[in-house]
Amino acid sequence: MRINPNYTPDILTDLWQAQAQEQIAIQELATGRRVNVPSDDPAAAAQDVQNQALQRQNDQYLQNTSNLESLFQTTDSALSSVVTALNQAISLGTQGANGDLSAAQRQAIALQVQGLQNQVVQLANTSYEGSYVFGGTATQSPPFTLDPSQPSGVRYDGNTSVNTVEVSPGSDLQTNLPGSQVFQGAGGDVMGALQQLITALQSNNTAGISTATAQVNSALSYVSQQRVFYGTAANQLNSNQSFLQKEQVSLQTQETSLVGADMAKAATDLSRSQTTTSATLAALAQILPQSLLNYLK
Amino acid sequence: MGSLTSLLWMASQALGADQGALDATSNNIANQNTPGYTREQAVLTEASPTIAGNITYGTGVVLQQIHSVRDQVLQLRIGEENQQQGGAQAQYGALQQIQGLFSDPTQGIGADFTAFFNSISQLSTGPSSITNRQAVLAAAQQLAGDFHSTAQNLDSIQAGVNQSVQQTVTQINTLTQQIAQLNLQVGAMQKLGQDPGNLGDQEAQLIQQLSQLTNVNQIQTENGLTLTTGNGTPLVVAGQSFALQTTNGPAGMTDISSQGADITSSLQGGQLGGSLQIRDTMIPGLLSQIDTLASQFATSFNAAQASGYDLNGNKGQAFFSDTSGAGAASNLTVAITDPNLIAASSDGAAGSNGNVANLLAVQTQALPSGETPLNRYASWVSQMGTLTAQAQAEVTASTASLNQLNDQLGAVSGVNLDEETTNLLNYQRAYEAAARVVTTVDTLTQTVLNMGAGVTGAL
Repeated sequence: MRINPNYTPDILTDLWQAQAQEQIAIQELATGRRVNVPSDDPAAAAQDVQNQALQRQNDQYLQNTSNLESLFQTTDSALSSVVTALNQAISLGTQGANGDLSAAQRQAIALQVQGLQNQVVQLANTSYEGSYVFGGTATQSPPFTLDPSQPSGVRYDGNTSVNTVEVSPGSDLQTNLPGSQVFQGAGGDVMGALQQLITALQSNNTAGISTATAQVNSALSYVSQQRVFYGTAANQLNSNQSFLQKEQVSLQTQETSLVGADMAKAATDLSRSQTTTSATLAALAQILPQSLLNYLK
Repeated sequence: MGSLTSLLWMASQALGADQGALDATSNNIANQNTPGYTREQAVLTEASPTIAGNITYGTGVVLQQIHSVRDQVLQLRIGEENQQQGGAQAQYGALQQIQGLFSDPTQGIGADFTAFFNSISQLSTGPSSITNRQAVLAAAQQLAGDFHSTAQNLDSIQAGVNQSVQQTVTQINTLTQQIAQLNLQVGAMQKLGQDPGNLGDQEAQLIQQLSQLTNVNQIQTENGLTLTTGNGTPLVVAGQSFALQTTNGPAGMTDISSQGADITSSLQGGQLGGSLQIRDTMIPGLLSQIDTLASQFATSFNAAQASGYDLNGNKGQAFFSDTSGAGAASNLTVAITDPNLIAASSDGAAGSNGNVANLLAVQTQALPSGETPLNRYASWVSQMGTLTAQAQAEVTASTASLNQLNDQLGAVSGVNLDEETTNLLNYQRAYEAAARVVTTVDTLTQTVLNMGAGVTGAL
């Protein structure tokens, strides 16, 4: 039987194939990726798009978490200072309720309490990155202003709205309490109690001072309760952060199994295709000079 | 009965025949590496015998013809496979470029969507921060920009394919012209029962090249071949070729016509068919999907924006320009330049982020087309990957199949040097022997002549 005498195209095709495989293996080893263009594995490439998006989203949730952590720290330290100020007001009130004091001495104490009132108003106007944290969602101007015409001595210009931020897929975290709730809540009116204490001290009303001091006391415990909200939220952020970090690891693992190269396999492929190439070349070198003409002298 | 003269005549016949056979052998050796060459074979037959009484005398050898050893069926199969390969290669080339637009998962429209919605999520932690707001605008610009560049890249790939359509048509016209010229001569020779030899090889080779370019039907008539496209448009009839014309169609794409009739949509197979499929079906389809996504995304995001309030306390105005229909992706622009106009607030207060949830919902809710923006993008990645992989597999398969067919054809028509060398020796020996016969007859004739001279001398 006659066979095709021109076998070079076949051998060249084999060579090209081996060389193409060599290139693929080298690319896998160099990039560490098995899927370098969608046609390498269309389904995996499409899933990789989703995976990358989830990783970036996860990064953003982590970013949100750390932004909120700073916000909560600022807020909590403001409230902690309020608690300190209220404790001082209580001891001043207790001092002022002492029957031995003169009216002038009570006036002096009233001045000190006014100082504390100023301090609390300032704390209630704490801002974080240019936004007032106790203004509800009206964050652009200071929510509290001293205003003698108000019964509590203070005017609230904020609103009662709250914000929420998504900190992990589908989980929203409330990020603020409106100042009206924190400082003028039904359970304890900080501003009202302080104003009442000042008025009682100024009017030299011993019984009034005791009542007002008791109210400052209950306002203090109320504010402490409000602080719990921020403490809980900070805890939630902590556990959220470790959840997100685990999620990140699992997404990265997923990415590797989707599009990552199996290095051992790629290295084996490389040496196999190299062997094929050199074997083909060796065969070619042996076959090409073979001809009847070699034997006719 | 045999005579010395007939011996001499037989020997000279043999010398001629052997020389003819050596001619064929020499031609084979000379063309052993010529593409498309078909080996020639000297067809030797016995001359008709003469009968005298009850003795039949052979009268030597006749070189009947030198014929090329062809296999028409194999050549037709190779033509078909060439057409497959040409089509697959044209598609693979273009698809590789197209899938390149979707190959980096960290860039392009898909990654931009994620970055855009991330910037909005970031905005929720500080809704009145101008830095955050500017980041949203920047991410939106990036997204719109990548919609533009993806559409533009597809346009320029399409224009490139269109150019190759024009070039292919020019090549087809050149080939059909050459084939028509050869066809006239080949047809005339075949009519006379002659072997078209090298002319036939050339024609067959040109037809193979033509098959790479488009789907060609071959019909053998008594005046030579008739070549038509797949749907019957004539390309070559006897000695006449019919050129395909190109005209500029709508959207700058080249239309192909033959004798006044537009045949663009009926051309299939080969490089031309493959290119047309990419140019007229594949790319416009993808572009319209991208336009739809751009338009539906813009509409849906604008609706979310309208449900909230901007930093100034006004109802959210359109974030993206309203685009629809063809070119929506290229026309997508961010309609606002003032970062304060992003409607993050749900109650009109500057510090509210209540509308962010609505803005973010566009990321996770299905658009009217039935998928979320990112899923839409991911499905393009998978579509383009699948099409490219298919074209690649087709190229590989048709190349393998072509190799196999060429092997088969080579087994029939290829020049084997060992075989030719053997033939060379055979015919050389035969020639030498025939020449010896001439010498011998010469000696015999001398003997006969001397026979008479001896008698004369004796007298």
